[in-house]
Amino acid sequence: MSIEAITIPKWGMTMTEGLLAEWMVAVGDRIERGQEIMEVESTKTTNAVESPVSGTLRRIVVPEGDTAPVGALVAVVADDSATDEDIDAFIAQFASSIKQDADEESGAVAAKKIDVGDGTVINALVIGPESENTVVLLHGFGGDLSTWMFNQDALAKDFRVLALDLPGHGASTPISGGDVLGSLTDAVEKAIDSLAKGKLHLVAHSFGGAVAAALTERKGEAVASLSLLAPIGLSTSINKLFLDDFVTAERRRPLKEVLERLFADPSKISNDMVEATLQFKRLEGVPAALGAIKDVIANEQGQVQSITATLSKFSGPVLLIWGERDEIVPMPTESEIPQNVILNILPSVGHMPQMESTAEVNRLLVENIAKAK
Amino acid sequence: MAKISYRQALNDALHLEMARDPKVIMMGEDLTGGAGANGVKDAWGGPFGVTRGLLGAFGPERVRDTPISETAFVGAAAGAALTGMRPIAELMFVDFAGVCLDQIVNQIAKFRYMFGGHARTPLVIRATFGAGTRSAAQHTQAFYPVFTHFPGLKVVIPSNPYDAKGLLLQAIRDDDPVIFLEHKMLYDMVGEVPDGAYTVPFGEARVVRDGNDVLLIAFGRMVQVAEEAARKLASEGVSACVIDPRTTSPLDEDTLLEFTEEIGRVVIIDEANPRCGMAADISALLADKCFHALKAPIKMVTAPHSPVPYAPNLEDAYVPNADAVIKAVKSII
Repeated sequence: MSIEAITIPKWGMTMTEGLLAEWMVAVGDRIERGQEIMEVESTKTTNAVESPVSGTLRRIVVPEGDTAPVGALVAVVADDSATDEDIDAFIAQFASSIKQDADEESGAVAAKKIDVGDGTVINALVIGPESENTVVLLHGFGGDLSTWMFNQDALAKDFRVLALDLPGHGASTPISGGDVLGSLTDAVEKAIDSLAKGKLHLVAHSFGGAVAAALTERKGEAVASLSLLAPIGLSTSINKLFLDDFVTAERRRPLKEVLERLFADPSKISNDMVEATLQFKRLEGVPAALGAIKDVIANEQGQVQSITATLSKFSGPVLLIWGERDEIVPMPTESEIPQNVILNILPSVGHMPQMESTAEVNRLLVENIAKAK
Repeated sequence: MAKISYRQALNDALHLEMARDPKVIMMGEDLTGGAGANGVKDAWGGPFGVTRGLLGAFGPERVRDTPISETAFVGAAAGAALTGMRPIAELMFVDFAGVCLDQIVNQIAKFRYMFGGHARTPLVIRATFGAGTRSAAQHTQAFYPVFTHFPGLKVVIPSNPYDAKGLLLQAIRDDDPVIFLEHKMLYDMVGEVPDGAYTVPFGEARVVRDGNDVLLIAFGRMVQVAEEAARKLASEGVSACVIDPRTTSPLDEDTLLEFTEEIGRVVIIDEANPRCGMAADISALLADKCFHALKAPIKMVTAPHSPVPYAPNLEDAYVPNADAVIKAVKSII
């Protein structure tokens, strides 16, 4: 008999509660792991939540239209051998355990600023238990650490998690000319050195893949596993128009149209996401920094970076996740993927698998990291 | 990113831009303690605390207290702008524009046009506006429809700390005259504001809240009123979208039309008097350009056609509130 809890997820640092906007399944329905079961609304975003488990939906605790704190029990999934009394007992026990958790932490987690010298400051978020294994989350071009808002807590159940804003992104200092990728990697390396200990598990998206490869070259055996989501550096083809349009879009409508290309389902782009991206792009120094990074990613011939050699000689597990409908960094051909790399293709997913197929991506990440733990 | 007040966000913008550009100067009454007064300088940071520290940082040549004559110092600022400076003139209350309206609408607004495009007037007139402070009829008017009426002026109404800083930096860097209106009841509002410099473009509305049953359009302090109404409506199952156009001139017509097309029901909330106000202006725009998309009449929630009363209970009744917005919404859904 297994009884599992469905809870309000935590997306991003400031989320403390969620509104249960819609139940997509009913009590008595058989649900599969990864199936979208409910829609949850935070003050910043709305997203369908996928079930982390398979079984029968036995009880809905939070009805549609109600708001509940992050981590609160909203439904119970169990197999048919569990009795109603078992479910009642599970709910009662869950209520007392979450109360203890709430006493321990106050909900919102604050990011911290790490001074890495030369006037560069890295904005970083550290969550999860003390551990000899640190998962480092590296976002892509134009993103920030909130890229991982649907993933960080799933990873933080078992590991120390460090998410950072790359230089020129989010609340980290913009970089200026010179060796852009080199100085960017320097800053990230220093931030990791001051915040992480033990083995490093690098999880990187898109442009972050090139940073992860550069860190792997420098850190040697300290890097225990690599999990790359639609990384650059494995083929030469790339949607350069997206990069150009992202850098030049200054207003809401054009930027929204650009951001919609990231997702297989463009309705995932909320006006809050557009406004947050605009606020970042308006900061003095950011447009120049983005322009410099863009030139490191691609030129008129296509992609500039290559991470193939780094992956080929890496001795730990390497996981590659790609959305089948990625229109930004197209999936490489079979011959472009090194032998030691395991590729997972996600159907109906664009360039943002970590947000578009949360449960599946979280499962794959935990599995890959556990191999090297 | 730190949480700071609307007042502090404006003060940060003034400090940043005066440090960056030596051509930026300020003129106004009691910016630093009063022209000719013998008391402690900069004791209050100006009548509303917005100009604090500027005198010490930039000196009395660039931060000038003037005699109590709006005609004189607004005129002087206009001349300074024409000769290449970037002056910021502070009207303590926008109501005092009455005594310098000729400078503003016949001179400042017309220079570029009448000199065949050869004259630039990079001038910002900052002023407080709005009801709620028990300051009576001559110190509490909304007034922005008046300026919006005249071609040649840009009119900016920040509703929150982030916009206050970014719009003021844009206003100072703009080569045209800008009327920059600060609501007195918003000075203590706190919000997240980046430490460094950034500009928010004019004519770009902000989508404050997504929603699909009704569109609420509001400026300045009324954005908070619209948000409060939207939260209460949400608990009753009505999903309200809130849009803040941020500037009345230029007006982001594209965004207003786009969301009206999508939603089809519109309530406009305007703290100004109803005749010839922004609510009436936007209603006309929407009725003209997307009549076919409207599912119900456009509703206007405004102050009554009356001066702002001094009696506190009457002043509170004068200002549009969330209940009035909810009532208007319920009349069209």
